[in-house]
Amino acid sequence: MYSAFLENQVPTAYGYDAERLKGLLSAVIVQNVQPGVWDWLQEKAGTTASVGQFNTAFVLIPRKTGKAVIQLTEEQNQNIQSTRKGFSIKGWTIDRLARVWLVLQLDTSDQDRYFRMIENLFLAAEMNELVALYSALPVLAYPELWKARCSEGIRSNIGDVLLAIICNNPYPSEYLSDAAWNQLVMKAFFTEKPIRQIYGLDQRANQELAKILTDYAHERWAAHRPIHPQLWRCVGKFINEDNFNDIKRVAGSADETEQKAALLACHDSDFLLAKELLEQHPEEKAAIEGGVLTWEGIE
Amino acid sequence: MCCSHNFNEEGLAAGKRETFSIESVKGMQFFDPHVHMTSRTTDDYQAMADAGVVAIIEPAFWLGQPRTGIDTFRDYYSSLVGWERFRSSQFGIKHYCTIGLNSREANNEPLAEQVMEILPLFIYKEGVVGIGEIGFDDQTAAEEKYYRLQLELAKEAGLPVQIHTPHRDKKRGTTRSMDIALEHGLDPHMVIVDHNNEETVKEVLDRGFWAAFTIYPFTKMGNERMVEIVKQYGSERIMINSAADWGISDPLAVPKTAALMIEKGINYGDIRLVTYQNAITAFGQSGQINEADFAAVKEIDQTQKFAGNTVLRGGQQPRVDKSSMIIR
Repeated sequence: MYSAFLENQVPTAYGYDAERLKGLLSAVIVQNVQPGVWDWLQEKAGTTASVGQFNTAFVLIPRKTGKAVIQLTEEQNQNIQSTRKGFSIKGWTIDRLARVWLVLQLDTSDQDRYFRMIENLFLAAEMNELVALYSALPVLAYPELWKARCSEGIRSNIGDVLLAIICNNPYPSEYLSDAAWNQLVMKAFFTEKPIRQIYGLDQRANQELAKILTDYAHERWAAHRPIHPQLWRCVGKFINEDNFNDIKRVAGSADETEQKAALLACHDSDFLLAKELLEQHPEEKAAIEGGVLTWEGIE
Repeated sequence: MCCSHNFNEEGLAAGKRETFSIESVKGMQFFDPHVHMTSRTTDDYQAMADAGVVAIIEPAFWLGQPRTGIDTFRDYYSSLVGWERFRSSQFGIKHYCTIGLNSREANNEPLAEQVMEILPLFIYKEGVVGIGEIGFDDQTAAEEKYYRLQLELAKEAGLPVQIHTPHRDKKRGTTRSMDIALEHGLDPHMVIVDHNNEETVKEVLDRGFWAAFTIYPFTKMGNERMVEIVKQYGSERIMINSAADWGISDPLAVPKTAALMIEKGINYGDIRLVTYQNAITAFGQSGQINEADFAAVKEIDQTQKFAGNTVLRGGQQPRVDKSSMIIR
């Protein structure tokens, strides 16, 4: 019986259990707004709402919900992350969450219409709306459709908008091409975003990105400007005869964090000279192998 | 918005030159309810922040040449609630705007129709504190039509209206603007009549409207005249702005006028009303102004910068020493 039910089930447009996620998000919203506000949201999300009403509701949300940072339990946080891997609402404001929730209520049966509705929200969005919309990318239906929009978002110069795409957002690492991904990482360094919050940074490391970032490091050295030590995290697996001198230079830095970063990069590398360099620092090598010194500890 | 103007060098040379020192207004806070920052540089933002300007309103206006398509209008409105708002926050200044179809471009009727269709997308956005700047320029039939339509829109949305009064035939244009607003059932307390002068102020105040004055060299008010107006009419429902734009104008007009008012013996309470509080009271009727945000836009950025951490806000712009020959 059960397997027959599964076979007959209509496949959803989402790549995860969207119904479960909606339920979890609803519960968080309910505990963070006044009862009247929750009723208002449900009314606006109903199937009888017109396109115009939906768009206006999306804009009006902060006037109803306020903009306080949401309270949620650790259990809720974990349930959300297990439903859509990498998706986190921790630290969000209530208007941001309610906007993402509202977009999740859209009818997905007509793919073109669904795409146009959301794309139009992007076109007329103010700053906070853009933050909410880009945070919604990993939970939207038809995930393949949003690659160009995500790449476009990376071109933004508005700090909060970039943060919403770059940090704690699983969509870019899952769907962007190498070129767009590399642009995201480069832009994160260039605009001084918290690198450790980039989801999938290690998994998406690639030869081309390592080259772009070492070139960038050379520019910074030429300008006598500091280099973020996490930059070498993206280079480790691709250390070769061309960039090994850079690693040596960083390992010989007067700054202890830079030294550690260079040795962590060496540990990630199969390049013989890098292995030898790490051997020359038995204390750090032991710390790395013992899990005491990790990239998470480098800032 | 401004008209083109000729420089009058004799005018510049005449009168004694007094240097403005920000020390004279130290500790004061200013709200400039009309300034077109899109046309200004980051130096202006820094100078305004240094002189005590904590919040501004940027009315949608004419960009110096007519737009030819709806997309440029959409992008302009979108920049007022997006990029310009962010740019302002980097200097610790809270940015609001008013959204509307300006009078000059109301004369391109096919385009004006399309603009009217997209206005509802923007007027409910966060930080949109009114419909503006709208009203008359040449006082044509098309201008009147779109002025009326936008008054209706303001009424429906419960938003204040920021009225631009014409440069030519100003007195009659101002009277007519108020007549029409009343005809549409607007409460004069929801209407800010801008660019007043000695000739228009009495009627505007007598009829219960807010009277805004633009301190703008050559074509609008000078601040010595402004001091006299406050002496004569007091501070109730009067506010001043710079309307600084792409013309010869001064983004420090509000703090400079406050400094002059101090020097001329106007009391502090009146100065505060005309350079800060009245604008907040008038445009705050939109429900979109929260004075706590003025401090937040500064503090959030600065504390995070001091923590060596530019998270969450994108960080404030670093300051550079302008007097240094060295650029790093």
